[in-house]
Amino acid sequence: MKIPNVLCKKNRILLKELTKTDFKLRYQGSVLGYLWALLRPLMMFAILYVVFSKLLRWGNDIEHYPVYLLIGTTMWSFFTECTQQGIQAIVHRGDLIRKISFPKYIVVVSATLTAVINMLINLGVILIFALINGVTPSWTWLLVPLFLLELYFLSLGIAFLLGAINVKYRDVTSIWDVLIQALFYAIPIIYPVAMVIEHSALAAKILLLNPIAQAIQDVRYNLIASDTVITTWNLVENPFVKVLPFLLVFVLLVLAAIYFRRKSKFFAEEI
Amino acid sequence: MAKRELGTRTEQYTDGDIAIKIRGLHKSFRLPTEKAFGLKQAIFNRLRGVKGYREQKVLKGIDLEIKKGEFVGIVGRNGSGKSTLLKTLAGIYYPEKGEIIVDGNLVPFIELGVGFNPELTGRENVYLNGALLGFSNEEMDKMYDEIWDFAELRDFQDQKLKNYSSGMQVRLAFSIAIRAKGDILLLDEVLAVGDAAFQQKCNDYFESLHGNQTVILVTHTMSNVRKFCDRAILIEDGKVKLDGGPKEVADAYENLWKK
Repeated sequence: MKIPNVLCKKNRILLKELTKTDFKLRYQGSVLGYLWALLRPLMMFAILYVVFSKLLRWGNDIEHYPVYLLIGTTMWSFFTECTQQGIQAIVHRGDLIRKISFPKYIVVVSATLTAVINMLINLGVILIFALINGVTPSWTWLLVPLFLLELYFLSLGIAFLLGAINVKYRDVTSIWDVLIQALFYAIPIIYPVAMVIEHSALAAKILLLNPIAQAIQDVRYNLIASDTVITTWNLVENPFVKVLPFLLVFVLLVLAAIYFRRKSKFFAEEI
Repeated sequence: MAKRELGTRTEQYTDGDIAIKIRGLHKSFRLPTEKAFGLKQAIFNRLRGVKGYREQKVLKGIDLEIKKGEFVGIVGRNGSGKSTLLKTLAGIYYPEKGEIIVDGNLVPFIELGVGFNPELTGRENVYLNGALLGFSNEEMDKMYDEIWDFAELRDFQDQKLKNYSSGMQVRLAFSIAIRAKGDILLLDEVLAVGDAAFQQKCNDYFESLHGNQTVILVTHTMSNVRKFCDRAILIEDGKVKLDGGPKEVADAYENLWKK
């Protein structure tokens, strides 16, 4: 099997142009325009903060809880945006695929890159917010991109796999929308992990083997640099089980890419 | 689902005389029967052992060689397989059986203005369309002025495409198509655009291509076949029925209805 030159100049240019177009068109016709990319996670944060921190008094024993919560909502928005856009990318760009020949993965990647740009800008907001909140900058901040990349690879894997299936079975989009709702509660975004441990330590461990939860907790841990943040590393003892989330992301991405590549030959006639 | 056997399509860049070589090309489509869309039907079909599609054979063994510099017209009735052939050549469809060898940079125009977006300006659309055709920004910079001059729409380059009339949009798309410098041009029924004056310009351009550029043109307009082509091919029921001079093939095409 010939390995295609995925990063050849022609493909890079096309990726750039498609991303630019996606980015320009996404917020067109709205008064606040691009600001919405920032406002959405911030507003989600504000609502969750009022409901869970102020009314239900969750997270009072976590240092810098507002920063903690903002990291969670931002990374979650990134994940949902990435997967939702990525899964629909091939169908959305059906007109192109039917009329011109190009590597199809470009369409999926370009659809997720808008979410990446949003994430990076939101990361800036988080850092400023953290400093205002009195978090002291530390070297561990440099580890943050690693976990964001992990989350991106997971999103890409899901987008490739479900995006390819979505060409034939459009039900995937709807199923994923529902699944994402369920997933939101299965990940410690709004509730502290300690709350789960109170009920069952095993349940907490299983929760943290989910790569999304693991990535979010790791970013929180490294940004806030506080031992009040429970991560996969300090909760799960078995060293082989610890690396499971990483392994899962890697295996999913590789399998999804292979599946996508095989199916992509027929996208033009099946869309 | 049954595993599908596949043919090959390779691209190369050599000094040989042959631009395109096709051997034993077959292509069929799986058309979903009745309601085979959606997950529910897929599960039902699988449970009942129904395939959920029927095989539609479109190309049934095409052999063809096109020399560099030839202007070849492809004609045939609707549904004869012309467009499928063109799309398979362009790499949009995967060959099912057989072999395609493309020698040189192939620029396909299955439709004009692929990827044109009404919310983008003319300038942005030109660069996007160029990127889709495989041109870099520098290459597009070089072609840019020529494109707008040929389209005669320079005053509109920073207007959104939705503010163009449909004729203007087609003119812009066509200008990109003919300024695009590829070794092999694939054109699907795109000759008749714009007003009389613009058509004259297009005709002049096509005549100038004669002998300098490999062009494969799918068309229903026999006057164009007679005027521009060196050679023409009549496709009937997924096979090459006639391969010869443009006059001979154009006459044969017109006689299809006189029987």
